[in-house]
Amino acid sequence: SLSRGQELGCRTTHCNLEVVQRSTLVFLATKPHVLPGVLEEIRPAVGTHHIVVSLVAGVTIQTLQRLLPPWTKVLRIMPNLPCVVQAGAMVFSRGSSAGDKESALLQNLLSSCGLCEEVPESYINIHTGLSGSGVAYVYLFAEALAEGAVKMGMPGALAGRIAAQTLLGAAKMLLETGEHPAKLRGDVCTPGGTTIYALHQLEKGALRATVMSAVEAATNRACDMAKH
Amino acid sequence: AGVLAAHKITASSPDTDLPTVSGLRKMGVNFTVSNKDTVKSSDVLFLAVKPPIIPFILEEVGPDIEARHIVVSCAAGVTISSIEKKLCTFCPTPKVIRCMTNTPVIVREGATVYATGTHADVEDGKLLEQLMASVGFCTEVEEDLIDAVTGLSGSGPAYAFTALDALADGGVKMGLPRRLAVRLGAQALLGAAKMLLESEQHPGQLKDNVCSPGGATIHALHFLESGGFRSLLINAVEASCIRTRELQHLADQEKISPAAIKKTLLDKVKLESPSLSVASASKVSLFTNKSKKN
Repeated sequence: SLSRGQELGCRTTHCNLEVVQRSTLVFLATKPHVLPGVLEEIRPAVGTHHIVVSLVAGVTIQTLQRLLPPWTKVLRIMPNLPCVVQAGAMVFSRGSSAGDKESALLQNLLSSCGLCEEVPESYINIHTGLSGSGVAYVYLFAEALAEGAVKMGMPGALAGRIAAQTLLGAAKMLLETGEHPAKLRGDVCTPGGTTIYALHQLEKGALRATVMSAVEAATNRACDMAKH
Repeated sequence: AGVLAAHKITASSPDTDLPTVSGLRKMGVNFTVSNKDTVKSSDVLFLAVKPPIIPFILEEVGPDIEARHIVVSCAAGVTISSIEKKLCTFCPTPKVIRCMTNTPVIVREGATVYATGTHADVEDGKLLEQLMASVGFCTEVEEDLIDAVTGLSGSGPAYAFTALDALADGGVKMGLPRRLAVRLGAQALLGAAKMLLESEQHPGQLKDNVCSPGGATIHALHFLESGGFRSLLINAVEASCIRTRELQHLADQEKISPAAIKKTLLDKVKLESPSLSVASASKVSLFTNKSKKN
C-alpha cells in the first residue's frame, strides 16, 4: 500500500511519529491488536491541533480516548469496501473533545468516497452488519442470480455482468427516487406476470427473514469482537 | 341497508324452516315458496343457491324470464356464458350479471365485484353497483378476474378469522383474558385495514412506521418472516383461486344428478355435494339484508 500511496503522489514513510508530526488530520488504519502499540508510540507527538480518526474495527471511542491525551479530538469511522470505487457507505461518531468543525471536516472530506453520515456510536456495529458485511451478501446474491441465468442457458460471464448491472440499477433507482422499496417492487410486478411468480419463490424461501438474521448475526459478532 | 324498501323485495325458498326465512320475514320482505312467483313480481333476480343447483333453477324459472329481467348470479365458479346459454333457449337476449361478494356484507363492509354479460347494459351494472355499494365496496371487473377475487376477498375473511384466532391465542398465552384478547385483536386488524384504505401510503411504509428500531414490533415481524408468513398468504390466495376454477370446471360438466336436486332441500344438497366451499355456504345468510330474489 506504500507504493500505491507513492503512485498517487503522497509522501510515504515508515515512521508513525513522522506522520503525526507532519499532519493535522491523522487516520489510524491498523489491525485491532496492533493499535494499542501504535497509540503508545505516537502519544507524545499528539497535540491540541490534531484530529485523530480511527478506522480500526471494534475499538471504541472510550478506548481510543483512554490511550491518547485526554483533550485529543477523536472520531471513529466505519467505512465499507466500495469506498475504493467512490460508492462507499460510511458512518462516524465523535469523541468528547471533537466538535461540529471536526465533524464537518470529516464529512466534507469523505463524501467524495460515497455516503458519509454521523451517527451515535451504538450504530457502528449495526452498520457493520448492514453495510460492512452487507457487501458480501450482495456478492452472494449476484452470484446466485447469475447461476440461475446459467441454469436457464445464458453464458456465465454475460450473466455476471447483467446481474451486477441489475443490482446497480435497482440501487440507483432506490437512492434517486427516494421511494419505499416495497412500492418500487410493486411497480415492477404486473398482475400474473413473471416478477410476481419469482417473488413468490423468494418468499417461500423466507429470504427476508434470512437476510434479517444475517444482519443480526454480523452485528452481534461485531459487538462480541469489540469486547475482546 | 337503506337503498331499497323491504316490501319491494321478494324472497323465495323451498324450505320454510331456515332461520334466514324468519329473519327476512321480520324485515318485511315478501316471502313465497314459489320461484316462479318471485320471477313474475321482480325486475332484478338474485340467484342465491349453491353452484350445482344453478342449472336446475335456470331451467325452472327460464320460461318466465323476460327482456326486462336482470339475472344476477353470485354462485362461485358459474360463468356468465353458462347462464346465458341456459337462458337463451327461453329468452333471446337475457341480461346476466355475475358477481362475487363476501360475508362481511352482513355488517356492510363487504367486498363485491361484478362482471356484466353480453346483453346487460351499463345502467344494469350501475344498478347492481348501487345496490351492493350500500353494503360495502363494489366495483366492476372483467369476468376472468373473478376467480382471483374469490381467492383474495371471497375467502379472505376466513384467513382473517384464522389470524384473529391465533392472535387471541398469543394474547392469552401472554396473560390476557380470552374475550379481551379477541376484542383487541379484531380491533387491531380493523384499525390497520382502515388506516391502509384511508392512506396513500404503501402497506410496507405503514409497517415501517410501526417498527421503532430494535423495538418489539420488528422482533415480532422477524418471526413472521421466518415462518414464511407472506408466502403462506400468497399460497392461500392462489389455492382458493385455483380451486374456484376447478369448481367451475365441475359445474360446467353438471356433475350433480337430477335426482339429488329434485329433493330440493338445501341441507340434502350440502351433504351430497363435494364442491361446497365456505363462500357459497354463506350465500344463504348473505341476502338477509337486501336480496330481491332466491
